[in-house]
Amino acid sequence: MTTPILKIANVQKNFGPVQALKKIDFEIYPGEVFGFIGPNGAGKSTTIRVLLGIIRASHGTATLFGQDVWRDSVAIHRRIAYVPGDVYLWPNLSGGEIIDLFLRLNGQTHSARTDELIQKFQLDPRKKARTYSKGNRQKVALIAAFSTDADFYIFDEPTSGLDPLNEQTFQDEVLQLKRRGKSVLLSSHILSEVEKMCDRIAIIRDGRIIETGTLAAMRHLTRTTVDVRTVQQLPELAAMAGVHGVQAHADANHVSFAVDADQLTAVMQYLSAHQLVSLTTAPPTLADLFMRYYAADGTRSVEGK
Amino acid sequence: MKQQWFQRTGLLLRVNARQNRVKLTAWLVALVMGMLVIAASFSQIYQTPAALAEIAKTLKTDAMVALFGPVATPVRQTVAAAFAMEMPVFTALILIVMNYQLAVGSAREDEDAGLLELVRAHGVGRLAPLLATALLLTGLNALIGGLLGSGLQLIDMPGATTSGNWVLALGLASTGWAFGMLSLVCAQLASSARGSLMLSYALLGGMYIGRMLTDLQNPQLTWWIPFGWVEKLGAYQAENWLPVGNYGLFGLLALGVALGLNARRDLGAGWLPPRLGRRRASVYLRGPVSLVGRLHRGSLVAWLLASLVLGGAYASVFNTIGDLAQSNPMIKQVLGTAGLAAANRVIVKNFLAILAIVLVVLAAIPALQIMLQLVSDEQKGYLHQLYATATGRWHVWASYTGWAVLTGSLVYLAGLLGMYLVGVQSMTDPLHWSTYWHIFTAYVPAMLVMIAVASLLTGWLPRWRALSWAWLAYAFFSMYLGKLIDLPRWAQRLTPFGFVDKVPVKAVNWATNVWFFGLTVLILMLAAVGYRRRDLAQ
Repeated sequence: MTTPILKIANVQKNFGPVQALKKIDFEIYPGEVFGFIGPNGAGKSTTIRVLLGIIRASHGTATLFGQDVWRDSVAIHRRIAYVPGDVYLWPNLSGGEIIDLFLRLNGQTHSARTDELIQKFQLDPRKKARTYSKGNRQKVALIAAFSTDADFYIFDEPTSGLDPLNEQTFQDEVLQLKRRGKSVLLSSHILSEVEKMCDRIAIIRDGRIIETGTLAAMRHLTRTTVDVRTVQQLPELAAMAGVHGVQAHADANHVSFAVDADQLTAVMQYLSAHQLVSLTTAPPTLADLFMRYYAADGTRSVEGK
Repeated sequence: MKQQWFQRTGLLLRVNARQNRVKLTAWLVALVMGMLVIAASFSQIYQTPAALAEIAKTLKTDAMVALFGPVATPVRQTVAAAFAMEMPVFTALILIVMNYQLAVGSAREDEDAGLLELVRAHGVGRLAPLLATALLLTGLNALIGGLLGSGLQLIDMPGATTSGNWVLALGLASTGWAFGMLSLVCAQLASSARGSLMLSYALLGGMYIGRMLTDLQNPQLTWWIPFGWVEKLGAYQAENWLPVGNYGLFGLLALGVALGLNARRDLGAGWLPPRLGRRRASVYLRGPVSLVGRLHRGSLVAWLLASLVLGGAYASVFNTIGDLAQSNPMIKQVLGTAGLAAANRVIVKNFLAILAIVLVVLAAIPALQIMLQLVSDEQKGYLHQLYATATGRWHVWASYTGWAVLTGSLVYLAGLLGMYLVGVQSMTDPLHWSTYWHIFTAYVPAMLVMIAVASLLTGWLPRWRALSWAWLAYAFFSMYLGKLIDLPRWAQRLTPFGFVDKVPVKAVNWATNVWFFGLTVLILMLAAVGYRRRDLAQ
C-alpha cells in the first residue's frame, strides 16, 4: 500500500472550554479525491484550518507530505492550493491582480492556463474585488487554485456561490486534476457533487469522524428504498427486522419502505412469496446516508462498522 | 409616504445604541471626566493673580493664538476665563474625532460589510438607518453637553458663571454634533468607510489651517470657517450664543444634504463611480511587502501631502510669531540686531517644540492604522488565503510592521520638510535644516516604541488593540495641553513622548534614544513570537 499524502491522527481542537474537534482521523492517498461531508458547524472548516497551520491542534498529529502541518506550514504550502468557503479579497485590488499575487506567492506565474480558466469561469479580471459578488470572489480563488501546479488541492465548499454552469466547470477541472494523479480534499454538503467525484468519503459530526470509506462500502451500511405491489397482502412486513418507514398507498397492496442492506435477502424472499406485481428499488443516495447519520435520533449510527 | 422613508427608525436607533454601547460609554466617560478633571485642577494651577496674568500674556502671543485661537480684549483674568480660552480648540478636535468615528462607523461600515442590505430588506424605511445614526449622535452630544454643563456648575471654577458654563458646554457639544453631521454627508459622497473618513478629516484639516491663518491675520474672518466658531464662544467673558445657533443650523443643513444624497444613491455606492483595475498585477506585486505597500499607496500619498501642507501652514506664521520687535519696538535697541534675532529664534523654537508633538501624533495615526490592520485584515478574512500560500507568518507580520514604521517616519519627515521649506520663504532669519532634523531624531524613536507596542498587541492581545488609540490620544492630550496645565511629570511620562525633553529648545538626548531603540527591538521580538504562535481568526 502506498504511503498517504495526508495523515490526521486523533486531532483535537479546543477554543477555551468549547471542544470544536473531538477526534479527527483520516488519511488521503496519492491520486485520490476525498470527500469531506458534514452539516454546518460540524468542524469541517476547523479541520481544514488545522491542516493549513492557521490554527494549532490542541492534541494529535497532522502531517501533509510527511511534514508537520504547523511547524512546516510554509514548506507544505508550496505544494498545495486552497479555496476557502468564504472568499474575502482586498477590496481595492482587481481580480486579475489578486490571481497573479496568489500565484506568485507560491513561486508560480500567470500562464496560458490562467487565461484559459478566466475564460472558462467567465470572470472579468479588471473589476475591483469590492464590486464582486460572492460567486465572483469564489471564481477568483478557484482560478488561482486551478492554475497553480500543486500536489494537493483543498476545496472548502467551493461551489456554494456558483451557478450550475460554473459548478460544471468546477467538476470538470477537479476530474482533470484526478486524471493527472493529483490528490484533492473536497469539503462539501452538496452531496451530488461528492457522489460524482469522490473516491472515498469521511463523514464528520459534532467534531468527530464517524465514518470513512468508499461510497460503495458505505452504501452497504445503509438502506435501499423499495416500492412494491403484490397480489397478496403484506401484514408482517412492518414487523420484520431491518424494515423501516412502511407507507401504504391508496391502491391495494402497494407499499414503499426502506430496508437495511443486511436484511435485503430475507425481505425479498418474503415479498416474492406474496406474488410480486411490480417492484422498484433505489440504491441509497448519499443524501440517505447523510440523513441516517444526522437524523434527530442519530444515536444509532456508528455501531454498523 | 412617511412610512416609506422613516419606518423603524426608533428600533434601529435602539439596536445601534446597544451595539455601540461600550464605545459610546467609553467616549462619554473619558471625555466628560477628562474635561471636568482639568476644570477642577485649573484653580490649583492658577492660584495667584500673578499666575493668571502670566497665562493671559502667554495666550496673547502669536504662537498661542495659532494653537488655541485669539484672546478677547480686554482679558478677564479669572481661572474660568483661562479655562475657556485654553480648552475649546483642543476639546473640539477630540469631540469631532469621536463624532467622525461613530458617524462613519455606523453609517458606512455596516453598509460596507453588507449588513445594511439585510436590514434594508426588512420593513425598514429608506432613510431610517441614516436617521437613526444621526439621532444617536444627537443624543450622545446632548448628553455630553448636559453632563459637561452640570459638571462645570458643580465644580464652580473661580470666575465661572452659570451662563458661561452652559455656553461653553453646549458650544462644544454643538461643534461635535455639527461635524458629525458633516461626516454623514461625506459618508454619502465616498464609496467606502475609509474614503468617507479621509474626506471628513481632509475637511477638518483644511478648516483647522484656515482658522489659524485668519486668527493671526484678522480674527473677524474666522467667522467664515465653521471650525473657527468654537473660538467665538467667549465663555465667562463677552458670552456669545451665536456659534451655538450657527452650529445648529450648519448641522441641520448637513443632515438635510446627507439625507437627500442618501435617498438618491444606490446601496453600497458613492457619488464617485468605482474605476476598473488592472487586468494583470504589476511586476512589483510579488509578496507581502509589496502587497501592503500597494494597499496603502493611496493613503500614504494623502498623508504625506497632508503633513507637508500642515507643516507648511504652521511655518507660514513663524515670522509673525518670532517677531518681538513688532509688539515692542524698544526691544531691538536693548538686544541689538543679533540679540534680537537670537531671541526671536528661541520663541520660534519653543513654538516648534509643541508643533513637533502635533506632527508626530499626526504621523503616528497612519502608522498605527497600518500596524493594526494586520488584525483587521485577518478578521475580515483577507489574510486567510494568503496564509494558505507559501508565506510565513513572520513575513506578513514584518511587512505590516515595517510599513508602519516607514510610514510614520516618512509622514513626520514630510511635515518637518513642509515647515522647513515654508520657513525658508517666510522668515527673515530662517532656521537651519539641522533644527528640524534634531526634532526628527528626537521624536521618531519615541514613536517607534508606540508602534512596537501596537505590534505587540496584534501578536498577543488582538482584542485590546484599540488601546493603542487611547494611548496616542492621551499622548496628544498630555503633550499639547499638558505643558500648559502643568500636568505632573509622571503623568506626562505615561507615553514615550514625555521623555523627549523640549527638542529643539534643548539638545537631543541620545541616551534616551538608545533606550528607545533597544526597547523597540525587544518589544518587536516579543510581538513576532506572539504573532507566530497564536491562532488566527476563524
